[in-house]
Amino acid sequence: MERTKNIQGWLFSSPYLIYTLVFFIAPLIMSIALVFFDWNLISPNPIFVGLENFNEALTSVRVHKAFLASYKFMGTFVPGVIIVSLIMALIVNALPRFKSLFSVGFFLPYLVSGVALSLVVRGVLSYNGPVNVALRSMFGTSPDWLGTPTTAIFVISAMIIWKMSGYYSLIFLSGLQNIPKELYEAASLDGASKWRQFWSITVPMLYPAFYSVIVLAVGLVFAIFTEPYTLTNGGPAMATHTWQLEIYYQAFSSFRAGYAATVALLCSIVTFISIWVIRRIVEAWGHHYGWD
Amino acid sequence: MVGINSSSQIINKEKKRSKWLLRNLPTILLYLVAIIFLFVQVLPFIYLILQSLAPWNQVDRTILPTSLTLRSYEWLLKGGETSVAQPWLKAFGNSVLLSTSATLLQVSIGAGVAYGISILHFKGSGSIKNFILFQMFYPAVILMVPTFLIIRYLGMYNTFWGMLFPTIVSLFAIFMFTNFFLSIPNELIEAARIDGASEWRIIFSIVLPMARSIITVVALFLFVERWSNLMWDLMVVKDPAKQTLNVLLATMFGPYGTYPGPLYAAGVLLTLPLVILFLIFSRNFVKGIQFVLK
Repeated sequence: MERTKNIQGWLFSSPYLIYTLVFFIAPLIMSIALVFFDWNLISPNPIFVGLENFNEALTSVRVHKAFLASYKFMGTFVPGVIIVSLIMALIVNALPRFKSLFSVGFFLPYLVSGVALSLVVRGVLSYNGPVNVALRSMFGTSPDWLGTPTTAIFVISAMIIWKMSGYYSLIFLSGLQNIPKELYEAASLDGASKWRQFWSITVPMLYPAFYSVIVLAVGLVFAIFTEPYTLTNGGPAMATHTWQLEIYYQAFSSFRAGYAATVALLCSIVTFISIWVIRRIVEAWGHHYGWD
Repeated sequence: MVGINSSSQIINKEKKRSKWLLRNLPTILLYLVAIIFLFVQVLPFIYLILQSLAPWNQVDRTILPTSLTLRSYEWLLKGGETSVAQPWLKAFGNSVLLSTSATLLQVSIGAGVAYGISILHFKGSGSIKNFILFQMFYPAVILMVPTFLIIRYLGMYNTFWGMLFPTIVSLFAIFMFTNFFLSIPNELIEAARIDGASEWRIIFSIVLPMARSIITVVALFLFVERWSNLMWDLMVVKDPAKQTLNVLLATMFGPYGTYPGPLYAAGVLLTLPLVILFLIFSRNFVKGIQFVLK
């Protein structure tokens, strides 16, 4: 009995085990080796360069730009998506009817490929597009949305906010539904205003939801690829040049496998540290309200 | 008399109406705000569809075209004319085949592994569970270039298999199914075993029916993710006849610069199947999402 169980168990797990061997363990070992080599993906003899790849990556302007861009996206996307998705969740939670209809409707953008959305955004914001034509007729000027560093960052952040807010609002919604109604009743009896109730009950009670959304959103920032690839190609002046674009460029345009692996390693270290620091900050905020 | 009576009735009615309005004003405003949000969330869909049907001299010029035409879709069917002809329908077929087979494999392999870990409790299942957690937190970006090299080494560069194989296992699916299967009461499975049911019988008549909503939600997320993947599919397949619709559309932004209409039609082809699929399963989705978010 115990034996057949073991055999069955390993049998059920075998596709996963083979997959892990080929697509996790093997690349893991290769990635450790690759960072010490200079290799154009074709030559039979990769050249051992020691720590030269790290030396180059740490002083590269392109990597510095990617580093900065990720924090610019974080500064716009993370607060933006938190505010929008929280408002959506509060609306759905307060609606007396049609709750699922609206949460399903808010979720729809999650289904849209970044490529299709890029197409729409490029058209809407083009020189003769509806937005710029309207702005020109009203104010006489129209900005070059994707050709100006600041606005390009805001446009791409707004696109990802639009896409992710419905998803994150489901996390906030499930948090809101776990708040005991008695807390609000007791607060009303004590004469607390709705505004006061929001800041003293809703926000602290939503701490687990805030925690999940913030960690997910910060992680997502370091994985941005599709929107800048299709819309700006990292421009203007590399303002939207993300880590992923740099890795893709180094590996498949410059054909430098070792250097690309090094940039990928740096990217994951930066991601890890950023998430760690932000988790610490959010946790400190949670401790303040008595969460573990 | 009649006149006075009816006019007082009217005044009464108006009073009632204004009272009703006043009492329900917050709710009405709330619905109004909800509808505005909903409108913003669906506006790009509407724009995409309208532009794909607009006459070519109006594309990206107006939000509401004055007349509608299927010219952009005809172009798509023929693959476009002149030098920029592309296999759009072939790409759509590739996307359907790739996303469907990847999702089926991810769900069935995921359910199998999760069943082993959570219900069979075989020797070593604890270590596998821990290793899966480690893999989930290990940054995938580091593995991308080496995985590409492995695919090339296996002779799968520029093939359908090169896109499919690295995505046949989803750690997210294993993780979700494991947690769900652990929530199934053990007595239920033990009782079936005592009655002499085989493991397959237990899987197909007890575990899977109970897991229907969670499987729907996980499968939907996996399908959307596979369908919209850009970076990996872009790296592995260069031949337009083998590319997914998502990749083909992304690479045609430049070459089709003067033909935005067909691009919008391709965008509709890329977006609409997911929306239809989601709406069909939205009832199960609403049920199952509660578990995923826990």
